[in-house]
Amino acid sequence: MRITAEAKSATRQRILQAAMSLFVSDGWQHTTTRGIAVAAGIATGTLFNYFPTKEAIAAALMAEALERAGEEFHAGHSGENSLEADLFSLIWSGLRSLREFRKCLAAASETIFSPLARQSPDSPGDAIRVDHLELVEAILTSHGFPAPRPVVTVQLYWTLYLGVFAYWAADDSPGQEDTLALLDQSLKLFAASLKFDQGRGTHGCQPQ
Amino acid sequence: MDVNLSELIAALPEDDPSSTVNAAWAQERLREILADIAQRPAPASSLHRLWMLSELSTQIALAYLALWVRRWFDDAEAGKRRLMETNLRMALKTFHRLGYMRGAMTKLGQTAGNLPGILPAQVADTLDRLHFEAPPMHYPLIREVVRNEFGKESEEVFLSFEKEAFAAASLGQVHRARLKSGQPVAVKIQYPGIARTIDADFRNLSALVLPLRLGKAWESQKAQFEEIRRMLNQEVDYLQEAESQRLAGELFRPEDGIVVPRVYAGYSGKRVLTTDYLQGLHLPDYLATNPTQASRNAFGTKIYVAWMRMYLAFMTYGDPHPGNYLFLSDGRLGLIDFGCVQHYGPEERELVRLAEKMAYEDPSIIREVVQRACGVAEDDPELDDYVRMMEESLNWMMEPVRQPGAFDFGDEAHFQRGMDWFSRVLRRRQVRAHPMYVYWNRSVFGFKALLFRLRAQVDVHAIVHQERPR
Repeated sequence: MRITAEAKSATRQRILQAAMSLFVSDGWQHTTTRGIAVAAGIATGTLFNYFPTKEAIAAALMAEALERAGEEFHAGHSGENSLEADLFSLIWSGLRSLREFRKCLAAASETIFSPLARQSPDSPGDAIRVDHLELVEAILTSHGFPAPRPVVTVQLYWTLYLGVFAYWAADDSPGQEDTLALLDQSLKLFAASLKFDQGRGTHGCQPQ
Repeated sequence: MDVNLSELIAALPEDDPSSTVNAAWAQERLREILADIAQRPAPASSLHRLWMLSELSTQIALAYLALWVRRWFDDAEAGKRRLMETNLRMALKTFHRLGYMRGAMTKLGQTAGNLPGILPAQVADTLDRLHFEAPPMHYPLIREVVRNEFGKESEEVFLSFEKEAFAAASLGQVHRARLKSGQPVAVKIQYPGIARTIDADFRNLSALVLPLRLGKAWESQKAQFEEIRRMLNQEVDYLQEAESQRLAGELFRPEDGIVVPRVYAGYSGKRVLTTDYLQGLHLPDYLATNPTQASRNAFGTKIYVAWMRMYLAFMTYGDPHPGNYLFLSDGRLGLIDFGCVQHYGPEERELVRLAEKMAYEDPSIIREVVQRACGVAEDDPELDDYVRMMEESLNWMMEPVRQPGAFDFGDEAHFQRGMDWFSRVLRRRQVRAHPMYVYWNRSVFGFKALLFRLRAQVDVHAIVHQERPR
């Protein structure tokens, strides 16, 4: 029997919804691919046709949430904000959209965002990284920091992002206000480094 | 000039127990540091400003603390002194490494800024500017703080909300907005997470004051230290501030010409405080209009009345720095910050009544007042010294009251006498006192510093007659 694209998409969504419910109710450690398959009403083998691992399911959930956050950011983007404010809006709307299964992500992100896993083309987190950095590149360009930019700059951003992400996933302060402060300070640091680089590129290192 | 805290640390002896530190030299170095800071242009970038603010306030607070603590060791035996100073030096080094923008340290730095008798005038001005330059928050961050507080977007909570802050508040900033009714309001927003740093700051500060535990006044100082921690925690709780503001508002009638903005409880929470918007000038801007002596006197009178009425209502306005007063164009005085109001319980109220009785009715009870206010027992050999200290304090406090007619608070000699008294107290280590006096002293010096800068002439005699219960 031939399965239509619509049916595939519907099954994929059923898996994601079942996984989300189980991650929230049972936690990351106690949720199995078998349990997700049962909750989604499919055979475990069928689930593997869609997602090879539990981490891949979590990564897909993250990717969807972050995509929605990116759309939300573009919809509310006025072009009046500072670079720090734009990056803050993008990142925080992403984190807010993931708030429901925040605690699960603390464990899952270790695998999803592992720098070692990134060397594999099937790494579930790499697509998230690439998509997110594309958005960041666009924001930087719109604020007068045109590409290409040094690899170090991108790496610095991603390191700060992961640091904030990891902190947020385990942040027990009310409304994650500590993460708000950390994100604000991290972005000030990042923006300052960009401006410093730009200033140095224009005025510094002149030949003697 | 490249100066930093390490030079102050270096002012303490290293390993040679016979070496002595010249406190006058250290004081001079401190003045140089402050003068240098004052000459620097105001930092332009927010990051730099943030850094400056924290470094500056931390350095000033620590510098004073270091100089103060040093005097405790002047006559200790050499070995003990060396041990204490090593502890202190290590604590300072540790603290300096941790000394980024934190709530408690910033507040301590602000306090130092309003004492013109201690700081050169230009430094006081610089610190004044910093009062209004807490770390800036952009609008997306503001939205999140509002959302955390009310569970809704700022656009849903308010009819309109200005994205740019019109003033910086202690540890936050203030935005103009309109309620759904159209009422213009000021919305104070606190920088996220700052409130919860207070206790951590105090754990670090504990390391600093640890050397004091060997002193006779340790128990008293521990209680004072705890009072500061309690008050700072209260100061960052806007719900408590809202309540203090409401209570203060009830003390003033329209004919007093003293305005306390109304609080909108439905639009306020622990980190967001919404009040009436008052249009007026802060002290430096008011002084820049070259006001008449009559205008200065009228405002000075209102400042005195406001302070005294709150004190007699057992709620001391503990932070009377210039940023908390607004000079309205119609002559009214606006009081706009009630975070640092010390509410007296039964024990403190009894001390207030006793002190009032001593000041106005029966000076002979001074020994009883000293024993209760300073915790110095009848058989304590220091009792007489404490009584003399209290007499000096009383004389200074009562100078304006005893003079019939207007008292000139612009008289530098009066202010200097108060500062001299305070210096003597520290020098003689007469620091045993009920914890309530930490903020009471700050309050008295703060509002007298304000009247000094205002060069106001105030008929205190008449105010006392009007305000004191008969």
